[in-house]
Amino acid sequence: MLSLLLAAGAVTAVIAGIAGAWSPCGFSMIDTIGTALGDARRSVMILATTTFTIGALAGGAVTFGGLSLLGGLLGHGATELRDSLAGALALAAAFADWRGWKIAPQIRRQVPERWRWIMPLPLACALYGLLLGLGFTTFVLSFAVWALAGISFAADSAILGVVVGVAFGLGRALPVLWIAPRIGTERGDRCLDRLALEPRLWLGMRRLDAIGLGACAVLLGGSSALAAGSAFATDPSADGAAYAWQQLGGTGMLRTAAATLPLPGRLPAVGGANVAWLHGKRIVISNGFPSPAPRRIPAPPHAMVNALAVSGDWLIVRDESDRGITNLFAVSLRDPARRRYLAGTAIPGAIGRPSIDGSTVVYAYSSMTGSAIYEVDLGSGARSVLRGATANVLYANPTLRNGHLLYERSDRCAQELLLGSPSGLGVDRVLLSLPSTVFRDSGYQSGYTHAYNGASVCPNRISGGGGTRTLGATALGNSVAYVSESPVDPARTRIVTVPLG
Amino acid sequence: MVRQSNRRGFLERLGGAVIGLAGANALAAAVLPDEADAYTNFCGHTYTTGNCPAPTGLPRIDRNGYPLRAHDGVPVDDLGRPVNGRGQPVDAHGHVLKDADGVPLAPAPRTKTCETTGEDYGIKLVLEGSWYRCCGGKVRRIRDCCGATNLRINGDAALVGYCYPGHHVFCVTYYETAMPC
Repeated sequence: MLSLLLAAGAVTAVIAGIAGAWSPCGFSMIDTIGTALGDARRSVMILATTTFTIGALAGGAVTFGGLSLLGGLLGHGATELRDSLAGALALAAAFADWRGWKIAPQIRRQVPERWRWIMPLPLACALYGLLLGLGFTTFVLSFAVWALAGISFAADSAILGVVVGVAFGLGRALPVLWIAPRIGTERGDRCLDRLALEPRLWLGMRRLDAIGLGACAVLLGGSSALAAGSAFATDPSADGAAYAWQQLGGTGMLRTAAATLPLPGRLPAVGGANVAWLHGKRIVISNGFPSPAPRRIPAPPHAMVNALAVSGDWLIVRDESDRGITNLFAVSLRDPARRRYLAGTAIPGAIGRPSIDGSTVVYAYSSMTGSAIYEVDLGSGARSVLRGATANVLYANPTLRNGHLLYERSDRCAQELLLGSPSGLGVDRVLLSLPSTVFRDSGYQSGYTHAYNGASVCPNRISGGGGTRTLGATALGNSVAYVSESPVDPARTRIVTVPLG
Repeated sequence: MVRQSNRRGFLERLGGAVIGLAGANALAAAVLPDEADAYTNFCGHTYTTGNCPAPTGLPRIDRNGYPLRAHDGVPVDDLGRPVNGRGQPVDAHGHVLKDADGVPLAPAPRTKTCETTGEDYGIKLVLEGSWYRCCGGKVRRIRDCCGATNLRINGDAALVGYCYPGHHVFCVTYYETAMPC
């Protein structure tokens, strides 16, 4: 969903930037750079065009990228509300641009003319480009600029902000790139005249912007509806179109392409076309749901099952015995007597929720001496460490699916949801980043000189209580990642959907 | 006469004591740092070497070098979460924190602040010499995290500090004793 929003936002931003050519500054730029032609300074004009473009791109990235960072600083909560507000803003701006309403609020300022006289042309043009790229330092020529600012702020994605900004800067530079080199020729002058005498062209641009904003509004509304679907829920599990989760205080739920149904039990898991859940002292495995003859496997007698994972051939069970020992083991669905022991510990919580893809299991194991994500091949028994650390980092909640590893990495500053290759080759992509929840001091004591304490601070958060949400169980769908987020009260845990982009 | 002599002697001694005290104070003021101004980042730390990276900010450690939350001395893991003796994250009342399924949250590594800093920076670092100062009514032990390095965490030349011969201070930590002062 984010990639579609990114595309719609970028196209809209390019058009909004082009619409800026109809401003006093837009015309001035074309003329200022264009008049360098005709004498022996064509190279200066080309240089000025280049610096103007670079300035405009940088300015756009600063404004819209900065807005997205600013939005991120406010925290990652209330995603639906933010998306809804941004969608409403986009829709309102689309309507106003379509109708060609007078721009308000308007910024009645222009770039400083004196720079043209006191600076070398390329330098002046770089600064002019920067000011125009910034978007809100001079006349605004469409409501889309305001709406894109709101979308960048609300989208909680620095990439979106930067892309929109660069696209806007490109749009501001395009008329200059196109017309300025031709000024002084009959064709170029006619082009500039036409621009100046045809406000309908400007209105046309605004209508194109309106269409783009409409698309943004639809995408924002869609993402808001998607995220809102899993409140008071945890333990997501996905397999193709099937998606299961645990409703807090209730039963498991299963959503397929056909319907959303409650399951007659807890701890649902889907995989390999199977659905598994815990019903009393039995684990039920159903090929599809409902199924006329689901299989039932007795749960361990003196233990409480607290996590399940399933594939076509294997069931993975985590349980905690009466004596507080946690075990993780695999049960063959072809021969339930065949079991493979995976891990055990006397520290509750040390073994994380497992995930299975085919016959490969992944799970996290963490203690005071280290944290790692393990992979076990149930066929051969081979075990390997996919991610590991002996200090500073906690790895948790891995999900393996179709050669992709989704997992969480937490340190003292941040909690990140990452997607990468199981082998660790390449750079893992951050899908979601939240500030750490721990209380942090400022790195110095009040009343004392403070300096050289850079190692004590976190670049992504300030001192104090930190974030209020903790990342939890994950799942990986075809185009989205699922992750549960717990506020201070875990009873209000919900599952959020993160587009893979 | 005797009385006068005694009186004069007393006044002379008193005057000398006052002058001596003033001189000592002046000397002390010249030599010793003022508590409020001359310490860097935290009470007791003179000079400018930066803090060792610590889970919650200030590099307070326990007697074994493991991290503590500075303002209350609660043991924390490397993520800065208060933990119990088994490394499990706990709330303000010491109860184990649980997830939405009621399963305790996973423990995280809890490592020695100085040594882990060394691993992060690719140097072998250990706590070596120390100095004690009175801070907030308790004796505080300033512990230098030292190694065979000429650079310190600030990025410039490292000082000898309280390190053993051949070693320099890479970063600093402190330990709060129970001794009142």
